[in-house]
Amino acid sequence: MNTNSNLYTVIYTTLIVVVVAALLAFVSQSLKSRQDANEKAETISQMLTAAQYGSKAELDKLSNTQKLDKYAQEISKAFVIDLEGNMVKELEGIEVYGPKPLKRQNYNIKGGANKTDEPELPVFIFKNGRTVVPIYGAGLWGPIWGYISFEADKLTMGGAYFDHESETAGLGAKIKDDPSFQAQFAGKTANFADANVVDISKGGQIDAISGATMTSKGLDAAIDTWLAAYAKYFSKEEE
Amino acid sequence: MDAKLKETILNPIFKGNPITVLVLGICSSLAVTVTLKGALVMTLSVIVVCGISSLILSLLRNTIPGRVRIIVQLVVVAMMVILVDQVLKSFEATYAIDKQLSVYIGLIITNCIVMGRIEAFALGNKPWPSFLDGVSNGAGYGLILIVVAFFRELLGSGTLFGIDILNRFGYVPNNLVILPPFALILLGCIVWVQRSIQKDLQEK
Amino acid sequence: METVSLFVKSIFVDNMIFAYFLGMCSFLAVSKNVKTAAGLGLAVIFVLLVTLPINYLLNTYVLAPDALIEGVDLSFLSFIVFIAVIAAIVQIVEMVVEKFSPELYSSLGIFLPLIAVNCAILGGSLFMQQKDFVNIGQATVYSLGSGLGWFLAIVSLAAIREKMSYSNVPDALKGLGITFITVGLMGIAFMTFMGIAL
Repeated sequence: MNTNSNLYTVIYTTLIVVVVAALLAFVSQSLKSRQDANEKAETISQMLTAAQYGSKAELDKLSNTQKLDKYAQEISKAFVIDLEGNMVKELEGIEVYGPKPLKRQNYNIKGGANKTDEPELPVFIFKNGRTVVPIYGAGLWGPIWGYISFEADKLTMGGAYFDHESETAGLGAKIKDDPSFQAQFAGKTANFADANVVDISKGGQIDAISGATMTSKGLDAAIDTWLAAYAKYFSKEEE
Repeated sequence: MDAKLKETILNPIFKGNPITVLVLGICSSLAVTVTLKGALVMTLSVIVVCGISSLILSLLRNTIPGRVRIIVQLVVVAMMVILVDQVLKSFEATYAIDKQLSVYIGLIITNCIVMGRIEAFALGNKPWPSFLDGVSNGAGYGLILIVVAFFRELLGSGTLFGIDILNRFGYVPNNLVILPPFALILLGCIVWVQRSIQKDLQEK
Repeated sequence: METVSLFVKSIFVDNMIFAYFLGMCSFLAVSKNVKTAAGLGLAVIFVLLVTLPINYLLNTYVLAPDALIEGVDLSFLSFIVFIAVIAAIVQIVEMVVEKFSPELYSSLGIFLPLIAVNCAILGGSLFMQQKDFVNIGQATVYSLGSGLGWFLAIVSLAAIREKMSYSNVPDALKGLGITFITVGLMGIAFMTFMGIAL
């Protein structure tokens, strides 16, 4: 068969496209539930780290089932609030917010063309008194997100853990890989009255990462946007 | 071993090094050489992807229509990398490794070395030599990556593999070294050294 | 005006070569003389200008979560879809250049098909995905600016290299070696644009 004929080219291309698409779709679909389970366990481990139940390295030693169990054991209340700080619904079972749902809520918080609903902000209160809230935003190369915990006074931060999709290894990636960066949040106060709720800058409240200016700025903006959304909830009196 | 095969394996390490002679794979060598660990992860990934892609494309080489050559190559490479990523994401044991690799997936698919070797070698040679060519180009690439990463991590963070080496002596990490332009300057110096040794590589 | 600032930003602040270091391989290899460099630069502008808006439409109407069918998220196909579009356009460009300018075709050599894996072009589409442009007009302005930034970078490097051929560069450093170092220095210079808020 003449490999340069038009007919051959069309058949070949169609065949390749069909085979590749089918293969990828098949693999992605059949593996989806396993991948989701892994991602859920990872999100839980990140939240538990923020709530200061241990370092990420320690929590990573647990199996998926153990992580789910630990969450079920330690969670006191998990619910969703609106921008006014009112509870909208409780979170049933083990429902957590990883990067995909956070991305949607990020659009909702920011408003604009991509907003689909009113923002639904998750709150996780653990038995050790910590309240964990998520944040989400844009880093240098891709999205960044994470979890910050607050002490019972709802002003002082406890632990924090951040993750990213494609920040530069050794630089922007430090928001995830460097526990000493995350440890800076402990004991600092979030200033809900200011637009710059938490300040991440060179030598600021939280020392930015050298050589990772864009990622640090992105993290600062993400934290400010999300904590501002939680401001009304945090300023309400303790129940 | 067949002399030609031996040449295929040894050439890309020094004389025909993809980065310093063929000028391929530069983008990733700037991005992943901030840490030695990153350089190693990337090296292994490129060796695997380059070798297997060259193998597959070489097997297909007589069937590909001339007009869609590039698309077919890219789609095969991209598909393979994505499949590996999907599989690694699904198993508890490999999930953590995949999270580290995900960052590099884009850089691996578009790594000019993979495509460059397919075009220049695999499409015109038998599967086994193509596989070897892919693997050794990956290795030659890795060699340079490791050298650059060694200096960048040591001078830029004072550590190697995350283990503190210089900081304890009061060394203040040099921030300029951490930035990409310095990697380029380092590469220039490596080329300088290589061409001083191998005078036939010098340009007029 | 937002469009103007987007345009200027994409040329200087978000310069594909000097801010993100994308598209290096062909940038370094094809910058020996201004004419070939300009040729490749134009090809890159053209490919970016065509592929980025197409990928924007695909992203908005097919790939994004809930875009095609409610509840279906096809974004895992982004990579392969973008690359396929880019590869198709590059194949067309290759055929056109071979037909209309054989000397450019042979001086570009392997770097013409390599535009398909030029990290700058794929990078452009991936950044577009993140930047959430409001309409295709903005995406097009961004692609034009990115292409121009790349073109500017390669032509300036070629100009410097042409002048350098008259300088006393040590033999082992001539060509690629001094080019790496020059680009490194240019990169440091371009970092002045990094903090500018437009």
